[in-house]
Amino acid sequence: MAEKKSLRKEFTKGLISENPTMRLVLGTCPTLAVTTSIVNALGMGISAMIVLVCSNIAISALRKIIPDKVRIPAYIVIIASFVTIVQMIVKAFIPALDKSLGVFLPLIVVNCIILGRAEAFANKNGVIASAVDGLGMGVGFTIALCCMGAIREIIGAGTIFAGAESLLSIAGITGFDGITLIGENSAINPMTIFILAPGGFFTFGILMACANKLAESKGKPKAELGGCSACPMAKNCALLNKGENCEEKKEEAKS
Amino acid sequence: MKKFKEYAAPTVVLLIICIVAAFLLAVTNNVTAPKIAQVNAENEAKSRQVVFADAVGFGEETTNADGVRLVPALDANGTTIGYVAITVEKGYGGDISVMTGVDLDGKVTGVSILSMSETAGLGANATKESFLQQFIGKISGMTVTKNAPAENEIKALTGATITTKAVTAAVEAAIEASGGENIG
Amino acid sequence: MTYLSILLTAILTANFVLSKFLGICPFLGVSKKLNTAVGMSAAVIFVMALSTAVCYPINNYILLPNGLEYLQTIVCILVIAALVQLVELILKKFMPPLYNALGIYLPLITTNCAVLGVVLLNFTEGYTYLESLVNSVGAGLGFMLAMVIFSGVRSRLESCDVPKFLQGLPIVLIAASIVSLSFMGFTGLVEGILG
Repeated sequence: MAEKKSLRKEFTKGLISENPTMRLVLGTCPTLAVTTSIVNALGMGISAMIVLVCSNIAISALRKIIPDKVRIPAYIVIIASFVTIVQMIVKAFIPALDKSLGVFLPLIVVNCIILGRAEAFANKNGVIASAVDGLGMGVGFTIALCCMGAIREIIGAGTIFAGAESLLSIAGITGFDGITLIGENSAINPMTIFILAPGGFFTFGILMACANKLAESKGKPKAELGGCSACPMAKNCALLNKGENCEEKKEEAKS
Repeated sequence: MKKFKEYAAPTVVLLIICIVAAFLLAVTNNVTAPKIAQVNAENEAKSRQVVFADAVGFGEETTNADGVRLVPALDANGTTIGYVAITVEKGYGGDISVMTGVDLDGKVTGVSILSMSETAGLGANATKESFLQQFIGKISGMTVTKNAPAENEIKALTGATITTKAVTAAVEAAIEASGGENIG
Repeated sequence: MTYLSILLTAILTANFVLSKFLGICPFLGVSKKLNTAVGMSAAVIFVMALSTAVCYPINNYILLPNGLEYLQTIVCILVIAALVQLVELILKKFMPPLYNALGIYLPLITTNCAVLGVVLLNFTEGYTYLESLVNSVGAGLGFMLAMVIFSGVRSRLESCDVPKFLQGLPIVLIAASIVSLSFMGFTGLVEGILG
């Protein structure tokens, strides 16, 4: 029974209290880049989640075999293979999604969430716990992406779930391709800036402020950009091992 | 012996992981590659019918000297009534691949964007029906305008003049490629 | 002329950080002070150029002729990771001053998506070898420009009276939004000058 409860904790921590995007501030690049619509955000979130779960399982299963020295390259190979597999499957079955995610699909390889979880969790815990952790983190990532996507799509394009047909057609549902909230000839125009780069930063900033407010009301610290501590390479970083911070190191070198 | 363990063991393990990974990828590729090719072919076939609605069938595809892919559009009797050309132009965010139907008079019968990576909300609006409809019936020598379009003019997408110009250039290239030339 | 336009496009109009959203982690994480920002960007420029120089021939002469495009991602990331380690070792051994200036940023760069991004984008854009190199250096310079400008903005933010709910990361992101807004002003600039 205790086992079950802790598994549930591993899952739920990724959703809110340790949400990878809003609390740990990991994987910011895809968060900003692909959230121009909910469908893109969902596609990215699910792809990353699949990779995360698979790589967590594989790394956790191999954690006793992989020598510590070649840990990082081994993880990268494992992650990259899963990413490529997901990429090929998306290309074959959801070509529309492949087109809209573009280069960010292969770039899941360098998504810090995945390498970060491998380092922080999967190489210390069992297979099942790692899988659950990956699932929780993946769902948390997807939720955060979808929030961003919803806000940006509604304000920026005046639609919601546009392009949903490409995702739904796999499940055999056709005929639903999103709702247009602001028509082409209506009195107001959508604020295109929201689906452009500045709108991405802005929306993320506002969402982060909300997340901080929520955390504060629960007496938890604000999300801080980890700099070194959240960095997936932290363990490898010679400086951190010496108990230094990369920003401080530079100061020292000067003086 | 200690040295062996220190240097060889990590190398061997890494090598094995790489081999397994490469093998898995090769298997997946073998499964998905035909499917990807099939999806692409289906998409192109669907688009061909859209850009040349009058055609009943399509002939063999050829590639001309400029690298433009041409497919003759056929009527019920199997006579060529025009061409469908796939041309590629550089847009704002990379290559834009455009499929254009051109009849024997050099008039555009329809345009479809096969692939692009333009900015969402600006250049990506080029895939919208209202933009692509403009090209129907146009002939060679189109110009891009930001105002209300006159004869043989294309109204530029808001904030995406480069994309509009690229699509227009691709359509022009398609007209030239299929302009009455007897291919094959 | 095309090289110049590729370079300018990569630096200004298609800035990696501010319009392509690549390399956001270091952009937010290491931009607090000007000197760290410059050091990090210099290391990024170097690694970008080097990995493009190595990955391009591998892709065009080994992967493509054998129909192995699907191995692109895995091969490139491995090459980048190995290169970064190699450079770190070489710098440490033979050029300690340079290592002290740049070396500390090198381990962080392996997982920087801007490096893998520029390598993969060079393939999809279909650039030649020289064009790829120019594009990589341009992307790196664009990264540096964004970092330097943003570190200036952030040093001003330190002394600002920010509303409480925006303190910390939110105001940094909103500042980034305004900087990226200003970069949108470059749209069409390159075509305007060179086209």
